[in-house]
Amino acid sequence: MILRHLAARNGPRALARYASQPQPLRRFYASDVDGIAASADNTLKQLHSLEAQINQATGDRVPSLNPETAGEAEAVSASPLSIVEQYHLHQKQKQVSGHLGSDIAPHYQPHTLLTHPPSPADVTLELLLASEAHQGHATSLWNPANARYIYGIRQGTHIISLEATAAHLRRAAKVVQEVARRGGMILFVGTRDGQDTAVVRAAQLAKGYHLFERWIPGSITNGQQILGRCRTKVVNEKDEEVPGFEEQLWDRPVLRPDLVVCMNPLENYVLLHECALNNIPTIGVIDTNADPTWVTYPIPANDDSLRCIQVIAGVLGRAGEAGQKQRLEAAERGEITYRPAQGLHLPEVEEAASSSAHEVVLGEESIEDADEVAGKLEDRDNHDGRKQGHRIRISA
Amino acid sequence: MGRYDFRALRVRQTARALVETRRDPALPPWYKIVGDIPPSEILSRPVQRTPRVRGKAKKPSRMFQPLPIAYPEDKLRSDFFNDHPWELARPRLVVEDSGNDAKGYNWATIVQPGKQLDGESVVQRQMWLMKHKAYPKALAYDTARREFYKHRHLEDVRRRIAKEEALHVGAYFGKGPLEIGMELEDKSFENWKQWAAQQIEDEQQMRAQLFSGPVNPEESAPPEVEGSFEELPETVSAPR
Repeated sequence: MILRHLAARNGPRALARYASQPQPLRRFYASDVDGIAASADNTLKQLHSLEAQINQATGDRVPSLNPETAGEAEAVSASPLSIVEQYHLHQKQKQVSGHLGSDIAPHYQPHTLLTHPPSPADVTLELLLASEAHQGHATSLWNPANARYIYGIRQGTHIISLEATAAHLRRAAKVVQEVARRGGMILFVGTRDGQDTAVVRAAQLAKGYHLFERWIPGSITNGQQILGRCRTKVVNEKDEEVPGFEEQLWDRPVLRPDLVVCMNPLENYVLLHECALNNIPTIGVIDTNADPTWVTYPIPANDDSLRCIQVIAGVLGRAGEAGQKQRLEAAERGEITYRPAQGLHLPEVEEAASSSAHEVVLGEESIEDADEVAGKLEDRDNHDGRKQGHRIRISA
Repeated sequence: MGRYDFRALRVRQTARALVETRRDPALPPWYKIVGDIPPSEILSRPVQRTPRVRGKAKKPSRMFQPLPIAYPEDKLRSDFFNDHPWELARPRLVVEDSGNDAKGYNWATIVQPGKQLDGESVVQRQMWLMKHKAYPKALAYDTARREFYKHRHLEDVRRRIAKEEALHVGAYFGKGPLEIGMELEDKSFENWKQWAAQQIEDEQQMRAQLFSGPVNPEESAPPEVEGSFEELPETVSAPR
């Protein structure tokens, strides 16, 4: 097994060395002339020589196929080229023969939307058009509440206005970025087939959470029963886990998301309804047959195209990534951009061990200065231990 | 039922009310954000068409419904595909690379790099001829169509030569779709033959059992032909 992997890794290098030296080429296939026994012998010899070369090329030993022939195999391997020389040889060969063959123009590669998702600044109408964000449903299926986002009718289907899509997508991206900057908990939901990778990638970028299977009804409204046993942890402002709070976390209410991004609202009405009941803002991809009042921030786009969903999820994920970066940079400067968890008291052991490590004194709460309501609350909340910038997160 | 639920849109007002009435201890982290970036206006219907004012006043209808999108190529396209219906049966690449694919095309020639030659090429070439060469529609259509036929023919020749060359240097091609289909059909037929032989054998055995021993010695005379055929299906289905 190991031998095969190494052979696959080092095969090209070995072949290049063969090509460079004027030694007779080894046969790799037994021809018809050889008998079966001879060909088997040949194959074994080739295997041993290959193994010896691999052993010579790589630092770590590969166990031999037959322990008796191990000494012999080492004697065979005597190559004058070091790894550096092989590397330079490979570079030279690439220079000589790399331009041969057909010239491939840049073209659409589906995986790049996942590996390098576009950022909000990259959203263009051409990108949205290429990802089929404009395709709506048949005219008879429309929800007239979406008349604002519809550009026209083409061959019996509604065409979504890409300008509306781009504007709403940028707006939603801004919301995601700001929520991430303020340490909010973002949940990305896409429960249709094929949306899972996009949703997971977006959650990875935004350091949020993802859901690609069924939403269990009541996870917000009846969260104590459904999610009560999930482990939570306390993190400091640099997202490092702070141990010692386990007892205090037992009797805390279940965490709720601060923002829900839903890729297929039609199938997730229960989730969106629970969010509306619990006053959680939502972002949703609204096709021409969906109801825009289900979500706070609709993004009019085609929710049936996976490419479109990948673009939207990627853009929102990138926005979340930017927000998280801003938050961590602020944390490096000693600023906390979010409201720390209330009612947490430093455990004794933790205090003795490394209290100075994660203790950051807040100058002023920056979240609530938007409104005078905040001022009223501030003096009321001063008695608890929120000087430490602790947050509670769900740990997987 | 039939009512709009605006709770999702009014999260900010609700959050504020909850805090003011002391049901929530603090404002949520998104409170300021939702104030800065408010949700867009929804449920408003832009007027798409106005009713005719002059002449006889008509009752306005379909004022808020989206309008159809029409392009000048549409007629040309329908003409071409009505004349060449089998062009629609050819496989076609519909994935866009960047969304700007059509910007690199210059329809001064019918063959474009990176685009397969199909009916759309004819339509675009015809449009170009009508616009830049001021050809009448029929002449532009015939010109574009002839170029299309020529390049289709050249494509066929190129494909045939490539196959001949490949065969000459030792390539071999697998079975074609027709051969594979015939093989599958033969296999199904053989299976059916086996099954039919088995059925016949079963039927014969059943019949032999049926007529082997007379139940009553008095009625052992050969049965009437009609009666036996009538009874046969019932007696066959009975043991099952």
